[in-house]
Amino acid sequence: MSLLSISVKPNRFTAWLLSWFLFAAGISLYFYTAQKRHQENPDDRVVPTLAQLGAGLYQAAMNPDADEEPASDAAGQSALERFRSGMLWKDTVASARRFFYGLALLFPAVLLGLHMGLFPYFGTFFLRFILFFDKIIALSVLPILFIAFGIDELSKVMLIVIGVTPTIILDTFNLTKSVPPEQIVKGFTLGARDFDVAYRVVLKQIWPRVLNSIRLNLKPLMLFLFAGEMIASTDGLAYRIALLRRHMGMNIIIPYVLWVALLLFLVDLTMRLLNKRLHPWFREA
Amino acid sequence: MVPGSITERPSAPAMLDAEPAADLLIRLENIHVSYELADGSRKKVLDGIDLDIRRGEFVSVIGRTGCGKSTLLRLVLGAETPTEGRVLADGREVVRPDRDRGYVPQRYSLFPDKSVIDNITFGPEVEQFSLLTRFTPGFYGRRREFRAEAMRQLRRMGLHESDANKYPDQLSGGMQQRVAIAQALVMKPKILLMDEAFSALDPGTRAGMQKLIRQVWRETQTTVLFVTHNIAEAIHLGTRIVVLAKDGAESSGSKVALDLTVPSDLDEEFAKIAGRVEAAAGHSRLDEDE
Amino acid sequence: MKLRPTLLFSVVAALVLPLAAQKPAFTVGWSVYVGWNPYYYMAKSGIMKKWADKYGITVKVQRFDYAPSLEAFVAKNIEACAMTNMEALDMPAAAGIDTTAIIVGDYSNGNDAVLTRNGVTFKNLPGKKLLLVEKTVSQYLFERGMAMNGMESQIKRVHLVNTSDSDIAAAFIADTSHEAVVTWKPLVSQILKTPGVTNIFNSSQIPGEILDLTVVRTDVLNRTDGSGQKFAKALTGAWYETMGLMSANGADKVLAAIAEGSQDSLQSYKEQLSTTHMLFTPQAALQLATSPEMKQKMTLVKTFCFNHGLLGESTKSMDEVAIRYPDGTVEGKADRIRLRFEKAYMQAVSEGKL
Repeated sequence: MSLLSISVKPNRFTAWLLSWFLFAAGISLYFYTAQKRHQENPDDRVVPTLAQLGAGLYQAAMNPDADEEPASDAAGQSALERFRSGMLWKDTVASARRFFYGLALLFPAVLLGLHMGLFPYFGTFFLRFILFFDKIIALSVLPILFIAFGIDELSKVMLIVIGVTPTIILDTFNLTKSVPPEQIVKGFTLGARDFDVAYRVVLKQIWPRVLNSIRLNLKPLMLFLFAGEMIASTDGLAYRIALLRRHMGMNIIIPYVLWVALLLFLVDLTMRLLNKRLHPWFREA
Repeated sequence: MVPGSITERPSAPAMLDAEPAADLLIRLENIHVSYELADGSRKKVLDGIDLDIRRGEFVSVIGRTGCGKSTLLRLVLGAETPTEGRVLADGREVVRPDRDRGYVPQRYSLFPDKSVIDNITFGPEVEQFSLLTRFTPGFYGRRREFRAEAMRQLRRMGLHESDANKYPDQLSGGMQQRVAIAQALVMKPKILLMDEAFSALDPGTRAGMQKLIRQVWRETQTTVLFVTHNIAEAIHLGTRIVVLAKDGAESSGSKVALDLTVPSDLDEEFAKIAGRVEAAAGHSRLDEDE
Repeated sequence: MKLRPTLLFSVVAALVLPLAAQKPAFTVGWSVYVGWNPYYYMAKSGIMKKWADKYGITVKVQRFDYAPSLEAFVAKNIEACAMTNMEALDMPAAAGIDTTAIIVGDYSNGNDAVLTRNGVTFKNLPGKKLLLVEKTVSQYLFERGMAMNGMESQIKRVHLVNTSDSDIAAAFIADTSHEAVVTWKPLVSQILKTPGVTNIFNSSQIPGEILDLTVVRTDVLNRTDGSGQKFAKALTGAWYETMGLMSANGADKVLAAIAEGSQDSLQSYKEQLSTTHMLFTPQAALQLATSPEMKQKMTLVKTFCFNHGLLGESTKSMDEVAIRYPDGTVEGKADRIRLRFEKAYMQAVSEGKL
């Protein structure tokens, strides 16, 4: 049977092998290019070699930011201490703080969407405005954002919030609306009051889908975080990348990019596992 | 006659001998239901319905698809309001669904995020504990009581204890509806509203469910409003049959076309003939479901 | 039918002819800045084409944003680029691309400035936040300002907030909790319109340290067919012809045309020119390029770059990135020359030999 037909059943080993193929191809191509460029120009910084990448990663992880005041006891630090005062860790902590503030502020958005979907007056009051607000591209109103929130931590978190919350609100609203009306009526016939129906019937049902929606929005959240950091910041992962761009520090930029991808993957994985554990009854994802 | 089988029928008409006024549970007065279509015209669903339901009755509402029988049920339920007329329950106007009127829909009858036992204890828990008091220590003590009661209901519905911690999607259609009935009954509603509750089940399961609801009705003496489009089911289960039909063109609303009491000896006659057939055929049970 | 052979011939001809008539092609990249905007006029007025035709080559004048222009130069997508002396050291030189500066166009004479509100001075800057584009001439200016005010030891105590140049003006104006900013014109002019903001230090106090250059890849200049040198000659000739027009009588017309290229008004452009020391004549440029002060100032710049790791994190000492001056002296290791200052072309123009 042709390899390309729909009815084939690849065996597990072949499937596993195939899934890694593009990685292998990409990495080989990269290092081949790096080698060629370094033959021509040993000082090339655009496509660093494995050794340079390793050195860059080590330096970023273990050494503090050159522009900061060095710690007083820099000489006697253990490896773990050095890592924790290193550039990579400090940038990660700074960005992570903003990321999780932004993430936390998504939960009120979920509640808003829920109430909009269930309580008619609530819904009519908010829906039109949020549909409009959703279309405002947050980055384009930066000057207004600066005036309202300054350019420090608050404005960065607000940028994330303005960028991502409308999607979450509207998503939750739609999920709420898609709960079968029989369920809501059922709730009332069993003696539930309005808030009981909202939280113990509807929210409990849609919660796994809401979590999935948030998971899908992790990337846009990251994007807004990065935009904010690249525009005005004193620290953070995107801040560092923007800075390094100015003098082509690709040997540090590439490890940073991969590090961010790893972190995002871990957050996504955690949320997925959490969803499964909390909601074993949810079969869809 | 096998006790609890569909062939046994207590005398429903006897209940009618009690005082009519105190006995009146649901009254629909001059009900008109219509709504506006996209093109501005009005579509009439129910056209002048007057209906009384007395305590203890098992009323089968039947009619062709689109005749408004579900709408009628929803009016009694409180999920819909009439364009004209009013719905009274125990003399008070019905404005919204509440615990006095239990509900078993055709689909989505159970909460998918809760186990079977939690579905049944939902009503009692919600009634006594609000969102805040849910987390007080007293709750957990009461919860054990609720669960014990729920187990009793489960068993009465013919389910097994091992089913208690299963989730709705792990149960068959028939089992789900059994749980749904238990869930509604545990609140001891004044009337049980069943909207084509068995229509989605296969014939074998359906027969079993019919037996079950009959038995439950007998034991709990709950009033039941049972909507179906299956004539045999309607006649077998009901003490009273209400038929809705459109009076004329498709666009007109439905009226009560027929409202008759089912003779109490219907089952006796049926049983007699059935018994003779069984005996002649040599099988011990002919009406057993698979 | 008769149409077919004609059609076929035309198609083939269209494909083949350009190949046959191919002249050596070069690209020079520029970005919007007072000292480099003349490139727009050079291209638009046809001056560049005239000089390119004279040497039998084609020269494309391509506009970029600043950082992408540097990246294109390092990636060898363009052969020449307009950049400051600091970037000439950081980007190509530190990335191992041997670069030659063939034109010294001007130096910043007040275009870059340190602005503060609430009467903040260098003395009370430590501990406060400073908005700027990090690792650029702005940071250099700031450090020179601190040094010249005796605050060199406190440099690291100032909190630098890296702010992109497209938003720095709005950010400083809107958020009054930030008290200091370093940036360049015309952003400086915008910010100064806000009440309470003063200019406490600018590049006129460090003349000759922030140079604007046109650089060419050395390997292009060294091409054996001589086309690279023709490129340099065409570029230099066209440049100084334009410079001549900008400084002659009736220059306003030319200046207006130049300003148009960056959607600026004539008045605004002239205002920026007033704080730029343009080296309109090749003689003036030569004088600066061959002066001993030039070497001192380049050393200051190189020290800054080295201290901030801009010469490459793995560069162990300043000598690893060597500079060769017009008189032949080399600062750093002779086998690691990365930046050269070449006076030959400017000299040729001054002597009328182009």
